[in-house]
Amino acid sequence: MKVLFYGCLADAIGPELTVDASGCSIAQLRDRLIAEHPTAQEALGSNRTRACIRDAIVHDHHVVDRTDVVEFLPPVSGG
Amino acid sequence: MSVVARLEEQVLRPEQELAALIDQASGDGAVVSFTGIARPHSKNGVTVHRLVLEHHPSLTRQSLEEIAVEAAARFEVSHVRVVHRCGEVLAGEPIVFAAAAAPHRRAAFEAADYLMDRLKTDAVFWKKEIGGAGPQWIEPTAADFADRERWG
Repeated sequence: MKVLFYGCLADAIGPELTVDASGCSIAQLRDRLIAEHPTAQEALGSNRTRACIRDAIVHDHHVVDRTDVVEFLPPVSGG
Repeated sequence: MSVVARLEEQVLRPEQELAALIDQASGDGAVVSFTGIARPHSKNGVTVHRLVLEHHPSLTRQSLEEIAVEAAARFEVSHVRVVHRCGEVLAGEPIVFAAAAAPHRRAAFEAADYLMDRLKTDAVFWKKEIGGAGPQWIEPTAADFADRERWG
């Protein structure tokens, strides 16, 4: 499955990864990504970084499917 | 009633946006507009040459529309117009235009204030300053979140 990153997370990890995480919760996926990309720990571990599937925010207990594309959105700022 | 919420990839021209809104606002008694400009220095006083505003392919436009529609529903306004830049914005260039037209001034002032407080914390952009301190990601400040909370 694809995992997409934006902002500071794209700088730390890259804009896109392919991982086999079907059956994992979002929280488990975060932990796994942090273990593999320790420089992203602060942003990925922050409760202000939201996970999103098909343009909808999903909570940390959400279990991902192999067909999902998970997007991690660090804190946003306009204006 | 009209609501305009646009993502601008090229140059933002506030004078044209304001003229368009005033044209629409015939019969209204008030137009209030805010133009945000990219500052040439950071919070710490370090020179900033430009901003890079990254956006999401769908959620950014969706967030601009939601904020504009909610402002239109919340205040006694006739027209709301939000235009937000994305991509590279040089210091000194306009980054956002937020405005409202209303029969009376109070609602137009409040709607413009609300629009900017929401945009600061809820518009889906990732903002990077490029300047003397190297690239720096910018997140909303505690004051920005407090301003947002005023509206519930």
